[in-house]
Amino acid sequence: MPENTYETRMAGCALTGALSVACFILGATVVVHAPQGCVHQMFSMLHATASDSEILAIPEIIVSDVSDCDVIFGGEECLFDALTQAATRRPDLILVMTSCVPETIGDDCGAVCAHHPYADRIVYVPTSGFLGGSAKDGENAVLTALANRAPIAELIPGTVALIGEKNLESEVDQNYAEVERLLDRLNLHVVVRFCRNCNYMDLMRLGTVACFILRDDWVADAGKNIGERFGRPVIPEMPRGLSECLVFLRVTGVACGIAEEWIAMAIAEETAYQNSMLAKFANLSGKTVFLGAEPFVGTTSVAREAITRLGMQESVDGFLIRLPFYLPIGVMGVEKMLYLWRRAVNNG
Amino acid sequence: MAENNCANPVWPCAMIGAVATLSGFSDLCIIIHGSSGCYYYPKSLLKVQLFSTLLLESEVVFGTIDRLYEVTTEVAKIGRPIVVVNTCVPALIGEDLKTVLSDIMATFVDSPGFCGNVEEGAAKAFVAMMPDIVADRSGVNIDGINPLDLFWRGNLYEMERLLDLLGIPVAVRFCHDTWENIRRGVSPVTISANPSYASGVGKSLGSMLFLDIPKTIDQCLTQFQNINADAVLAERQRAEEQMFYSCDKYLRKYAPPVVAIAAQESYAVFAKAMMERYFGSDVPVVFARNRTTMGVPYSVNSAEINAMIDEVNPDLILGSSFEAAACRNAAFFGITPPDRTHVFVAARPLVGVEGGLVLIEGALNALINNQKKRKFLNI
Repeated sequence: MPENTYETRMAGCALTGALSVACFILGATVVVHAPQGCVHQMFSMLHATASDSEILAIPEIIVSDVSDCDVIFGGEECLFDALTQAATRRPDLILVMTSCVPETIGDDCGAVCAHHPYADRIVYVPTSGFLGGSAKDGENAVLTALANRAPIAELIPGTVALIGEKNLESEVDQNYAEVERLLDRLNLHVVVRFCRNCNYMDLMRLGTVACFILRDDWVADAGKNIGERFGRPVIPEMPRGLSECLVFLRVTGVACGIAEEWIAMAIAEETAYQNSMLAKFANLSGKTVFLGAEPFVGTTSVAREAITRLGMQESVDGFLIRLPFYLPIGVMGVEKMLYLWRRAVNNG
Repeated sequence: MAENNCANPVWPCAMIGAVATLSGFSDLCIIIHGSSGCYYYPKSLLKVQLFSTLLLESEVVFGTIDRLYEVTTEVAKIGRPIVVVNTCVPALIGEDLKTVLSDIMATFVDSPGFCGNVEEGAAKAFVAMMPDIVADRSGVNIDGINPLDLFWRGNLYEMERLLDLLGIPVAVRFCHDTWENIRRGVSPVTISANPSYASGVGKSLGSMLFLDIPKTIDQCLTQFQNINADAVLAERQRAEEQMFYSCDKYLRKYAPPVVAIAAQESYAVFAKAMMERYFGSDVPVVFARNRTTMGVPYSVNSAEINAMIDEVNPDLILGSSFEAAACRNAAFFGITPPDRTHVFVAARPLVGVEGGLVLIEGALNALINNQKKRKFLNI
């Protein structure tokens, strides 16, 4: 990504991205070498997400709490203490990441991790806050580091892994259910959610699946690494919109070696399902809407497809429709969007 | 646990405190001098316009002054006063940022996250404001209004209502006012809605938290001529009778609730006193978010707070939904952020006569609903 563009500046910090993956590994402990405030931000977001998802257990993050004294005298001791604290729980894994402060004051965090008695179970990801790249870089770094620990294994037919689900997205589990519904048409099963509420041992089964399905191109770097490491196909994203669901069925079916007649049957069933969903919005036929700005790349094309399928028109004089920021996955995502359209059209 | 270590810290950093405090001035342009990672959290919490230098790594290597100058100059075109709030990394690399800003007449608040918590950041923002106390500015300043407070809007309305009943005009609202107003000078006296967000400006006449009202009104009577406290005191008396009545009714059926409290120090002390007074409660666990005070220990360590709460198996938690999530058997009423157990859009006070009623009503409903739930689930 070129320096000094708006996108680069707005790219968030690597620590946040890394934590959004690391905090969802059951049996692992996360240690962050940072001031308290950095971890509070993430804990608060996790809490909000957990509340939305009715998840009872909130992951625990141990923070070394680099203070105003530590920035003068060095914070390595704080990190060592935090690792020792984490090790007392005998976790399967300790994931260590850092904020921009230890990077600036020059703490040698890699050496602290390497010399700790629990070193063999420590995975150090030098995120370094914004000095270590963007939120996307942090997320990819953790996914890659964990994938590199998973052994190469024999393929188990009919299995897939999801890579890089957006754990902080409020509809993450609804999206998962939609992908699961589509995969079920092909008799495929998700055995690893890499990394969402999976324990470490399950994550290490990554090498057994027939193909990897990425959430989207946000995790393309990790996906490329994973595909190459295990020599299996990578589906670049979960499907957004109606026709993409059909494409997804075909591409994933082929990638997993599903028979052509089975794929064709799955596509026919899915097409019928989509038509029955659209029938609920028949009263939108003939209406004119204005889509306005595209909040997220790809949303407008999904919306335009729905306009065509429902026999609607698009014009600047039409009802102003707000497109969702993150278009949820599959037919469910389109259905949720159409509820908002119907509300706007019916109520002005 | 080692001295520094903390699990799941429950309270934001000084930078957030400074930005939140300043965001109460609608005519200010606030620039966060830091990366987008530091910018997103206050932006999502406060939902107001905030600017940022959105620093890149290269700017940290070669110095952030040029970038700060670029952004500040651009924002200055809006024509409103500017305050720059510093973050951790620029604070560490030792640049002379104040000098850059002196050309642009921007105020500088050096409150990097590692220097403390929200209240320390708020205090730094107040110091940077340097409002002039004007002896003949009539009325009082309202203190302790902060957008991070769950009750800030309700508190502001309740404070204004009570002061109006007393016949005391409001000079400045710390912090829900205009920078222009504050620059005209502030009143020499201040009354607080939430003493944990003290501005330190002028002489404090006390707080309007329910139990403090009589003492604070005494101070007002000494300070101001021609005010009438009868209406407020009568209203408070009626509210107190209502609270005793409702709590007595509860106590006819149930034992006094065992209560655990984890909140900002001022609200924690207030809530403890209220629960003891009206319910006769035992309050074996009280933690303050910001500092140790009056026998109330400080902690922002979620693991420590939850372990203590778990130990006493309380009937009621008064705190944030962090504590509520960790102890789901207890009833819960939120008095400190975040409270994600409900959707809140309306203004509710915790200060004043209505604030006292809100607390007791909230505690009672939480307790009664929990009793019903336990009975239904046969717990």
